[in-house]
Amino acid sequence: MKKKILVVEDSKLVHRMYEMMLRPHEIVHCYDGHEALQSLGDHPDIQLILLDLNMPRMSGLEFLSRVKADPVFSKIPVVIVSTEGKEEDTQRGLEAGAAAYITKPFQREDIVEVINRLTED
Amino acid sequence: MARSPADSSDGPDPEAITDAIGHLRSLLSEAAQLVETLEERAPALNAGIEEEGERAEDLRRRLEEAERDQEELTAQLVEAERQASKLTSLYVATYQLHVSLDPVEVSNAIAEIARDLLGAESFAVLIKDEVRGGSEIALTRGVPDSDPLFSGDSYQGGDPQIDATLQDGVLRLEPMEGSRALATVPLRVEEATVGALVLLKMLDHKATPLSEDRDILDLLAAHAASALFAARVYSKTDRKLRTLEGLVGLIRQS
Repeated sequence: MKKKILVVEDSKLVHRMYEMMLRPHEIVHCYDGHEALQSLGDHPDIQLILLDLNMPRMSGLEFLSRVKADPVFSKIPVVIVSTEGKEEDTQRGLEAGAAAYITKPFQREDIVEVINRLTED
Repeated sequence: MARSPADSSDGPDPEAITDAIGHLRSLLSEAAQLVETLEERAPALNAGIEEEGERAEDLRRRLEEAERDQEELTAQLVEAERQASKLTSLYVATYQLHVSLDPVEVSNAIAEIARDLLGAESFAVLIKDEVRGGSEIALTRGVPDSDPLFSGDSYQGGDPQIDATLQDGVLRLEPMEGSRALATVPLRVEEATVGALVLLKMLDHKATPLSEDRDILDLLAAHAASALFAARVYSKTDRKLRTLEGLVGLIRQS
């Protein structure tokens, strides 16, 4: 079933990867945390967020903490997709409220499986 | 005085005994007929059982075959999924390399391919400088400023793997004695080697060996330099054009 997914990521290449891999889901593209917070307000029907950690202006973890502190958006599952792959990075992300943690480079099936699992009706 | 049972009025009724014997004979006769019938039908029943057994065996064989087919299809699906993922990566990488004529955008695309698709943590792009010698350091990521080989604007040689690839244009995926590079990818324009992508360190969690990324490395070798050159030429031409337009504008005003 078609989902609405917010992608927060500064790499244009990764945005295009998602665009190709996640058809037919609808994707809302944002390139940093500030833009993403604005987008959440504009798209209250977002069902899942794919979040990079290293971004300009606002880090992924800061964006995540703001989302989790907001009662309107705190229930949206957030999946961190990052090049940071150490155990402590994963732990920090999950403790901050991420529903899953995927490391780059990723395969299509990694992302699709997590999206299906976290957006089951 | 002895008495025979027949003399007794309390003894068994001979008529009843005769009836019972007759009934027993009739039962025996029926049983004999039944046995005869069963004996007649036994070969057919045995044949039926044998046939059913063969059918059961056939069904078991077909089930095993279907299970094997299912396993094979699952494996093919996984492989197809892997290939689709790889093709997507290749398509996106090619698209990103050629989508812009801005040299900065092209450099970013090369960096994103190296980091997000290959899993490189530290790398450098070198472009041969035919005028001044050595190679221009066009791009670095994750390389400290104090790095003895890649600080400043140019690489003047000194790493055996990088020097060899810049010289002969061969893709090297194995570390070489005395070299810091994990892999060196020649960057080509037509047949000429015009530079190299040097991978110095991969992300710790990268699961697959670089040899499995051969397609992306080949793509970078074939497309990265030409995309960068085209963008630089376009940028230079565009700058000249704007300068000329400015001059023409000034002349017209005066």
